[in-house]
Amino acid sequence: MVWVLFVAHLLAIPVVVLAGRRSMQAGLVAGALAPLVTSVWASVELVAGGDPVTAELVWVDGLDVAIALRADALGLLMTLLVSGMGALVMVYACGYFSADAVGGTRFPATLLAFSTSMLGLVWADSIWTLFIFWELTSVTSFLLVGHKHVDSAVRMAARRALVITAGGGLVLLAGLIMLAEQAGSPSLTAIVPIAGTQATAAAVLLLIGAATKSAQIPFHVWLPGAMAAPTPVSAYLHSAAMVKAGILLVAVLGPAFGDVATWKWLGIALGSASVIWGAVGALRHCDAKLILAWGTVSQLGLMLTLLAVGTPKAIFAAIALLFSHALFKAALFLVVGEVDVRTGTRDITQLGGLARSMPVAFAVALLAGASMVGLPPLVGFTAKEAAIEAVLKLSGTAQALVGVAIIGGSVLTVAYTVRLLHGVFGPGPATSVDTATSADTSINTSVKTSANTSSALAPRKLLMELPALLLGMAGVAGYAAIGVVNHIVGTAASELNRKAAVYELIMWPGLKAAFVISVLVVIAGALLGALLVLRGPRRIPSSVGANTVDGIVDGVIANSPRLIAAIQHGSLPVYLAVMAAVAVLAAAVLSSDFASGHLVWWDHPIQGALALTVVVAALAAAFVGSRLGAALALGSVGFGVTGLFLVHGAPDLALTQLLVETVVVVGFVLGLGHLARRFPPIRGSWRSVRMTVAAAGGLAVTAALAAAGANPTDRAPTEALVAGAVDEGGGNNVVNVILTDIRALDTLGEVVVLATVAIGILALARVRSYGASQA
Amino acid sequence: MKPHQAPVIARGIRVVSPLAIVVGVYLLFAGHNSPGGGFTAGLVFGAVVVLRTIAGLHRPRRTIALIACGALLMAVISLLPLVWGGTLLDQQVVTFDLLILGTVKTGTALPFDIGVSMIVVGLVAAIINGFSAMPLDEVPQREPHRMTAAHTKQSGVT
Repeated sequence: MVWVLFVAHLLAIPVVVLAGRRSMQAGLVAGALAPLVTSVWASVELVAGGDPVTAELVWVDGLDVAIALRADALGLLMTLLVSGMGALVMVYACGYFSADAVGGTRFPATLLAFSTSMLGLVWADSIWTLFIFWELTSVTSFLLVGHKHVDSAVRMAARRALVITAGGGLVLLAGLIMLAEQAGSPSLTAIVPIAGTQATAAAVLLLIGAATKSAQIPFHVWLPGAMAAPTPVSAYLHSAAMVKAGILLVAVLGPAFGDVATWKWLGIALGSASVIWGAVGALRHCDAKLILAWGTVSQLGLMLTLLAVGTPKAIFAAIALLFSHALFKAALFLVVGEVDVRTGTRDITQLGGLARSMPVAFAVALLAGASMVGLPPLVGFTAKEAAIEAVLKLSGTAQALVGVAIIGGSVLTVAYTVRLLHGVFGPGPATSVDTATSADTSINTSVKTSANTSSALAPRKLLMELPALLLGMAGVAGYAAIGVVNHIVGTAASELNRKAAVYELIMWPGLKAAFVISVLVVIAGALLGALLVLRGPRRIPSSVGANTVDGIVDGVIANSPRLIAAIQHGSLPVYLAVMAAVAVLAAAVLSSDFASGHLVWWDHPIQGALALTVVVAALAAAFVGSRLGAALALGSVGFGVTGLFLVHGAPDLALTQLLVETVVVVGFVLGLGHLARRFPPIRGSWRSVRMTVAAAGGLAVTAALAAAGANPTDRAPTEALVAGAVDEGGGNNVVNVILTDIRALDTLGEVVVLATVAIGILALARVRSYGASQA
Repeated sequence: MKPHQAPVIARGIRVVSPLAIVVGVYLLFAGHNSPGGGFTAGLVFGAVVVLRTIAGLHRPRRTIALIACGALLMAVISLLPLVWGGTLLDQQVVTFDLLILGTVKTGTALPFDIGVSMIVVGLVAAIINGFSAMPLDEVPQREPHRMTAAHTKQSGVT
């Protein structure tokens, strides 16, 4: 079933491209189908609660390279979020984009491609599969963030997101390989607990990988910039799907690092810092979307902290937060998108009084906001209670650190939620904005400062309100049907830690310590929020982190031409000399066990004669002054070697060598027509460098060959190859069976090299003939 | 060179070309059991292309198409076993009777080899076409650039 769904997604992409030609809306509707079916399947599986669904497609057997997929309870929960949210967002985007929006072939298909990669990521059961889909989500998200690519600020934001997340992916790969080496298998389910220095290194690498994707300090700088994306993309990628990938990774790998101190403390440090700094960032900005983005950094930090703590209760709370966060944050994004489309701005200092004119949006925002700050009767309340209880169960430094993070973060969360809701819906400067501004122009990051007099809003769009309402109501429904949520979250958490299954979310805890803390947090946060609202708008901080990243990338781009000019200076003799010198170094390592005892002058006297021919011809090629003479001398070397092969009993090799030499000599004759008859003179020092490199190359290769023959292993591989050729390959010519069957992968690689060379030559010839026609 | 400039050579190459192609085809098929194979066959075909170029005779020009077809053929042969549950590049051996000619044994190695030879021919043809892109008569008989280690600091693109 996993395969069917996955292939259905893949097949749907070209269909969406075709549908998108008619209009953006047609493409989006076509794109919503596959995620819709998948989310229905995932919810049925989740409620039924059977064994994990697995599927595997082996690619290279001997190397353990396979596309391995496995959907366990946690994977199904993520599937529900990824696909369910994907379908909702596609429907929402139908309303968000105007009917004549450009990019209809591109946007829906890219969104579906992202959804597909995300599915592969949450289902991945092999480090290779995980890495490939991890990077695919980075690439597709780059395309989605850069949707309005005409704007250079948008391009910069997309580039920043790509550089950070894809670079983090490479760090992640290093960590994953270390883990797989320890476990002896690339499967994620087979990962064993590890310890020692390797564990420390792997923990650091993997946490960096997760932090880049989940926008944790100091890698969070890409997330606010990524708000340049259309709002449906932000709602999907930057609340429900992609930024959860890092959290999922930490969750899945947590059991392997149970006893590694670095994992725990680095995770807590990154997470706690992000909780506080993200919430502070949300208080400092005035763009509603940026407030939500910084809030996401904060809440992802909370999940990371809880997962790094690693107690069963904390894991349970983290999964509950992951679920509730996806619901309320996506709902808030959708509301902000609608406000943006209908009023033309997202600046909370300009907005206000929308509670009456946009009642549905206000209701959804109120529900989602209440879920975010953790008020009953919403699912966010139960998750936050679970988190505080998990902290109360800790002791020592961990409790102090995590406690400060979670309580401080919660107070600030309440404050920025109050500020956001008040700014958009509360009494304030009655929104007076341009009605003509449609979705297309309002996607810009820059907040508009239009001060129009007309106060009418753009018309309501049902397609935008419905998904937002659905998500807002889901928070209430989750609270009402807490048993279902408990089942889903509990089974998912027990995939990570068996002991987590005993915990459950509680609708009304009564007057317990956690509840008292919660009440105090909400009161303190509300007061702080009210204070900030009264104080009025402040200067918007400049984005130092993002500018630093852009500066580094720009610096690399600006300086690379100089580096390239130094390395690729275009002189063939220098290239050859460098390559030969490196080969000498490589051969020198081998020739350390040089021995001469096994050397004989020849097996047959004719070998001596042939060798003499080769040596004389080689010397002639080096010293002769005319180019044609050198070409012919080189040819003689080749034919002499052909003779040696023949005497040695290698007819295949001899035949190939003979043909190669023939073609090369004839080719030389053609090519020499373009050059002067004689070699140009070479200056003294360069001449001696060339001679040294050549002599050293010859000596090193000779020594390495002599060394290679000195230590024969037990049995020559010939016997096994001969037997294999006849039995498996069905041929008697061992050499060719090796080429086409036993080592066919090598042949394939070599042929790819040949084809690449040919294409390069064609390109060069074209450039040259173009240059000739220009002259 | 134009064919009329060296009629003997042109005539000779014209006569030899089909024979050489027959030899190449033989090598292609014989490769599995005796010396030969896709690479060797490709070189023989390549030699024909080179000779015909020298003599100014007709020769394949669409090298990209040749290489693309070869690569496609090899890719299909490599991936085909995955479809019926094998592994990448798994060989299938086929044996069948031809009434008079006796039993024939072949396998997916044959199309694989054909792909190799197509790419080799394509490469040789690309090199030769590249060389002969500029007619020999227009070539200046002095060094265009004299590159020594001392002044090679210009960028790679000229």
